[in-house]
Amino acid sequence: MKTYWRSLEELEDPKALRIKEAREEAKQKSLLYKESKGSENNSRRDFLRTLGFSLAAASIVASCKKPVEKAIPYLVKPEEIIPGQASYYASSYFDAGDYCSVVVKVRDGRPIKIEGNELSPISQQGTSARVQASILNLYDGARYKGPRFKGKKTSWDDADKAIATALKSLADKNEPVVLLASSLISPSTKSVIDQFIEAYPNVKLVQYDSVSASGMLSANLKSFGQRAIPDYRFDQSNVVVSFGADFLGTWLSPVEYTKHYTSKRKLDEGQRDMLRHYQFESAMSLTGSNADVRFPIKPSEEGGIVLALYNAIAKAKGASAISGPKSAVDVSDLAEELLANQGQSIVVSGSNDEHIQLLVNGINQLLGNYGKSISWNSPLLTKQGLDAEMNEFVTDLKAGKVKGLLAWGVNPVYDHPEGMAIETAIRNLELSVSFAERKDETANLCQYILPEPNYLESWNDHEPKLGSYSLAQPTIQKLFDSRNVQESLLRWMGDAETTYADLIKKYWEAHQFTGQTALTDFRLFWNTALQKGVYEQQQNAEVAYSDHGLSAAGTGLKSAGKGTEVVLYETIAIGNGKYANNPWLQELPDPMAKISWDNYASVPVAYAEENGLSNESVITVNGLELPVFIQPGQAAGTIAVALGYGRSYAGKVGDEVGKNMFSYVSHVNGARQYYMENADVAVVEGKTFPLALSQTHHSMEGRPIARETNLDEYLKNPAAGNEWHKKSESHHVSLYEKPEFKGHHWGMAIDLNSCTGCGNCAISCQAENNVQVIGKEQVRNRRIMHWIRVDRYYSGDPANPEVSNQPVMCQHCDNAPCENVCPVAATPHSEEGLNQMAYNRCVGTKYCINNCPYRVRRFNWFRYVNNDQFDYNANNDLGRMVLNPDVTVRSRGVVEKCSMCVQRIQEKKQEAKLAGRMIEDGEIKTACQQSCPGNAIVFGDLNNPESKISKLFKDERNYHLLEELHTLPSVGYLTKVRNKA
Amino acid sequence: MKLKFSVSPAFGYLPMAVFLALFLFVNSPVLAESVENQHGAVDGHSHRDIKRGERFFKGLLPHKLEHQACVSCHNLTPTDTLNWNPSAIAIAEKYLDKDFAAFNNAVMNPGVGMLAQVHKDFKIEEEDLKTVKVYLDNLAMTGPVPQNMTINNLLLFLFLGLLITWALLELIFFRKIRYRFIPVLIFLGAFGYQAKMLVDEGIKLGRSEGYAPDQPIKFSHKVHVGENGIDCKYCHHTVEQGKSAGIPATNLCMNCHVLIREGTNSGKFEIAKIVEAVEKEEPVEWVRLHNLPDHVFFSHAIHVGVAKIDCQQCHGDVEEMDIMEQHADLSMGWCVNCHRDTEVQFTENGYYETFVKMHEEMGIEDLKKVTAADLGANDCMRCHY
Repeated sequence: MKTYWRSLEELEDPKALRIKEAREEAKQKSLLYKESKGSENNSRRDFLRTLGFSLAAASIVASCKKPVEKAIPYLVKPEEIIPGQASYYASSYFDAGDYCSVVVKVRDGRPIKIEGNELSPISQQGTSARVQASILNLYDGARYKGPRFKGKKTSWDDADKAIATALKSLADKNEPVVLLASSLISPSTKSVIDQFIEAYPNVKLVQYDSVSASGMLSANLKSFGQRAIPDYRFDQSNVVVSFGADFLGTWLSPVEYTKHYTSKRKLDEGQRDMLRHYQFESAMSLTGSNADVRFPIKPSEEGGIVLALYNAIAKAKGASAISGPKSAVDVSDLAEELLANQGQSIVVSGSNDEHIQLLVNGINQLLGNYGKSISWNSPLLTKQGLDAEMNEFVTDLKAGKVKGLLAWGVNPVYDHPEGMAIETAIRNLELSVSFAERKDETANLCQYILPEPNYLESWNDHEPKLGSYSLAQPTIQKLFDSRNVQESLLRWMGDAETTYADLIKKYWEAHQFTGQTALTDFRLFWNTALQKGVYEQQQNAEVAYSDHGLSAAGTGLKSAGKGTEVVLYETIAIGNGKYANNPWLQELPDPMAKISWDNYASVPVAYAEENGLSNESVITVNGLELPVFIQPGQAAGTIAVALGYGRSYAGKVGDEVGKNMFSYVSHVNGARQYYMENADVAVVEGKTFPLALSQTHHSMEGRPIARETNLDEYLKNPAAGNEWHKKSESHHVSLYEKPEFKGHHWGMAIDLNSCTGCGNCAISCQAENNVQVIGKEQVRNRRIMHWIRVDRYYSGDPANPEVSNQPVMCQHCDNAPCENVCPVAATPHSEEGLNQMAYNRCVGTKYCINNCPYRVRRFNWFRYVNNDQFDYNANNDLGRMVLNPDVTVRSRGVVEKCSMCVQRIQEKKQEAKLAGRMIEDGEIKTACQQSCPGNAIVFGDLNNPESKISKLFKDERNYHLLEELHTLPSVGYLTKVRNKA
Repeated sequence: MKLKFSVSPAFGYLPMAVFLALFLFVNSPVLAESVENQHGAVDGHSHRDIKRGERFFKGLLPHKLEHQACVSCHNLTPTDTLNWNPSAIAIAEKYLDKDFAAFNNAVMNPGVGMLAQVHKDFKIEEEDLKTVKVYLDNLAMTGPVPQNMTINNLLLFLFLGLLITWALLELIFFRKIRYRFIPVLIFLGAFGYQAKMLVDEGIKLGRSEGYAPDQPIKFSHKVHVGENGIDCKYCHHTVEQGKSAGIPATNLCMNCHVLIREGTNSGKFEIAKIVEAVEKEEPVEWVRLHNLPDHVFFSHAIHVGVAKIDCQQCHGDVEEMDIMEQHADLSMGWCVNCHRDTEVQFTENGYYETFVKMHEEMGIEDLKKVTAADLGANDCMRCHY
């Protein structure tokens, strides 16, 4: 059998690691004991303390009164609201190039949860971890509370007057003013900006993306005359080749791509073919971890390899070859496979180098993919920033040519490589206005801060793809004194009346409404679009390819460098760092490294061995000290460090977490390059930096936990890789009666083929179930509270391992080991097969934790709510507004764990009972399942033979974790099937 | 080294005695008096005027009045039975920011209705009425009259503690009583009673059966439900769909009270509060009676909408309550017992077709009745999650 290992320590000596872990745990426990006891010679004081307590207790018992609570009804109750019942509103999330159509759950006027919108053809009910966590951004204490001028409060009227005057005088002198915005995809907003520029011709719009797709955009401009990104249809391709594009994690439209990608890798409902995925990359990305074949390469080698692939295909297709640098990898087999799948393959690159992108376009053109697996019908518009425009602006700004700046949704002081120079320049501007919603480094320097509302508080419209529109609507009254930027622009044009909502409506009436014939009444059209959240307009674009610039692309390519290269990447959770103040995102362990609360230098295994480095050692990269994490699969000669950390003015949670790497982004050929060549790396001897590693948590001790096989094996024998299942089933004998469930028997199946490991489920669960943030130190102490974790196992060669991701939550065993050891019966089994947890009965013996073989029970070592020691969102009224009122907030000293979202089960059961009907299969969705972009989780009633879950449980791939223990889990896993050649 | 303790019971009760002394001091009338003095002067009126006003209001002045004292209708302290007349404090608050002329007009020329009948033959000197206004203004500012301290359980508990201490001291040190069984009996009795108190109070902790607080408006369920026969679900209209039965929004009250501005019992004073709330757009702050702990998730919809349980089963004879009170103790035992006894609508409601095997047994075996508990209503995670 294949051996899996979770960290290098385990690979070397599993036994030693186990001993080490046990010691570590014992140390933690003794530490806690000591802390609570203080000094040793105080038993007298303890005695008096106890005495005082009993006295107080007695007096409370004898005379205490319950506090008087008020019940304040509505003055005029809105018709659609039933107190205690949630309402759902369709809306849209768009931020820094991330688009997602969402449904917002609102309880008694408070948005508390984000779900995916199933009507959206783009996000298709999926969300990402960042979208899930965006609900907490609404309740962020670092948001600006009102308009400010030079650090002091001001009124909107005063600010409007002063800014309009300043803009006028600048316009009269024809001094340039720049409206610097992140990619804009709102048609109504664009119309406002057009009007604004008409009124102030000296204003120029510059769109700036901190992680730019400029190379792609300019290549597409050359090849297709389009400043957009084509529609990649992973569900219509058999072979996917990605050069450093983390399309399942952070690249362009990951939720959409994950939906398509996983649908083409499922083996249910008779599907028997899978797409094959090749990944060339330097750092171990989420996408790379899912690849069937992965090539670790240096970033500078990418150009040569793409060129070789182009030439190999060109040769077969009779096109002329292009000369350029040599390839480090033999791609002839890959070229053959691509040629065998013409029109059904996709080649993508995450590079920001126009030349590489031109070659990639050339390859896709030769393969005939355009119009088939890659479509220009409705191109993606979420990244608009061209680096050349930004560079021009920065040069002008530094030279003092730009006199005014309106910064909207951008933070160049922090996330531009020339942030320092921009900082000085902004200080010298005649007019600087920031529309920042929350604290950021750029806003801090601007004269005016005119906060815009959160996306959950305001109207908006979006066009993420050509002809694919969506609306955003307010789900709560504005919490603070904020105003839409569009309205600010209108005010400065002298329009004192129009609201942005009116404007959107008018725009839609004039454009979208007239573009359709199905509905003749605008109000009906508007209400339908608003209710659905999305509106589609059929597009039939004819885009012609031209090989403009292709032949010269080879010469523009870099040849492979010799020195160490530092790869700069975005993480799943933090992204470009805009929401670094969001504690949920900070605490989400990285899918690969399983580290939270820091960025770090991922180094290759061989490099660490040569230099005697271990995890938490410290190295310097061009003088900057960084903690080391040894990353299996990291390409030789490279180091990877995440962007988005090291914010200095983000708020109490995000400040000074990790190091800012944006200054290491360089400019090559006018485009920003997200890696650094010839880095100067040195080991800092004897120094360590603690990292919140949850990697070796809950070790599974090398048993057959994550099972896998290859497609050819699977086609021969559907139970391949899962032979153990039958064997252990046949051995099962029990003294206990077989549990019987009269009505429902809830169960869950997880398809390991569909789980990419993105971590969306962890945040979704956190939002739904009031799971608390505990901070770096407690994560280090192995006390992370997430009810669902994604385990990651490596197998094979540490230099380029295979990866398995496996979500693990409470298995709701029907023979649960935790249940019969509880001395107070706080965790009994329900009549519906759930392993229950009664918090108010739990006395915190932790026997259940010790007896749970899956390590899914969590103990509240401290009170994490309303406690200054844990100063995150749950320590203030604003942050606690996100709490789900349907789930108890757990106190110190009790155990908690996954409840299979019992509140959702109860809610749907109530609905069914009220309607007098049976529950339909798929009606109840758990939080982790509902927004999973891979549709990897299925929940349902095992007692219903027709349900999807019952069918999956009968699938030959189905198995249970540690099934040899005969715990009879209600959670099943489907063996992972790879598609290696 | 570890210290070993043998603590005499006397030592144990020493802090209690200190506590008792402190307790008595804090609640003593001496302190209350001094607080009152601070608010002595209202708009230049002396403490004398206030006192005189108070005496007039309470009917304590030596000369004989032809009519009853104000206080006999307008309560100063909450009472167990509903007094329909506006309480002194409510009047005080209403007229605090109005001048004497308005007050005088309201008392002496009340127009028509109940108030006019009662106040009809009032002959009050303007001087007297002015002092009453001063007294009431003062009352509005100082707040309701504190109730006299009653000997509560704590005192009894501490007294028993003292008895125990004495009995133990007697047994061990003094040995003055000849018959040893007397202090032993006293000890056992006192100790036993203390234990009983602790257990009783402990069980009652967090329960508030019979809780009937004063509400901001003297709303009577008896009048609305009992006498006028309004259905519960007319006002509590989310009871069949929502977790919460819903306290009616003020605009719902106005459905009727837009016309009905004077009650048979209460006159105009109480209903005017509703109108005022609507006009001022300030919702009424009712005092919440039924207060389940935060870790209990109860749904009215399941009990009323699905199980068709009568409101009265849990809330008592609301149609006879002038002052609404908590009928059941809302303890877990109460819930669980009811689940064991109550039949579900097993054959009527289509949802229960899920229980295939039980339906089959209904036919052949002697399964006649299916209770909520049979279907798992007493699982922890039905109510706690």
